[in-house]
Amino acid sequence: MAQSNPPFMSGVPELLLLRLLNEQEMYGYELVRSIKQATGEAISLGEGVIYPVLHSLERKGSLKSRRKPVRGRTRVYYSLTKKGRDRLEKLRNDWSRIQSGVATALGTASNA
Amino acid sequence: MREPDFNTLATRLLRNGISPRHARRAVNELRDHYDDLVDAAVDEGANSKTARLQAASELGTMDDLVAEMASRRELKTWAKRYPQLAVVVYPIACLVVLPAMPVFVGIANRTALIRWSASLLAAGLVTAVLMLVMQLSIVLG
Repeated sequence: MAQSNPPFMSGVPELLLLRLLNEQEMYGYELVRSIKQATGEAISLGEGVIYPVLHSLERKGSLKSRRKPVRGRTRVYYSLTKKGRDRLEKLRNDWSRIQSGVATALGTASNA
Repeated sequence: MREPDFNTLATRLLRNGISPRHARRAVNELRDHYDDLVDAAVDEGANSKTARLQAASELGTMDDLVAEMASRRELKTWAKRYPQLAVVVYPIACLVVLPAMPVFVGIANRTALIRWSASLLAAGLVTAVLMLVMQLSIVLG
């Protein structure tokens, strides 16, 4: 069973979702598979908890959704809005800043 | 892990103040996700029962799902988001709506109301005709 990474990462699921949806519209199951694939299974979300994040992002205007019937099921496909792209840019910058900060700290610590 | 009970999940989401729209949609999406997980496990060679248990495990526990939804204020009903406002608005709304309740009830039960009115009208007409006949029989007879 895939290990989930609970609230660790506030912001990280959001960043990953926005990043993937920036390329193409996807539905929940597809998104979870893509996250696993894109992160080499390093990040495995508890699969069900992706929906609150998606609904929340949609409510905030970062995503929009549409229903599409596929093989007898009605899939809800999510895609990025202009606001979502701005949000992605901001999160990407924040993440780069944190990443370089941590890398610097680790470098300093290992040199000490 | 047990197979997920989506009806119980929907009830728990509503009890935790999640708006009916989000609760309904989340449950539908989770149900579809679960079906996809079962299909994927079956494709990988698992038998039906194992596939369902594996899918339930990957989907996560109901407690986690409810907690994650409930932690997001924006997914809750407005009364849960603004409880102080709801305490003020609800009684005022009730005061405004209460006098109009008979009208709303009449509209809601319009079929029965029309049938009842028609019966009353027919009975009135029959009575009037009978009275008229009796009156005429007295006057002319």
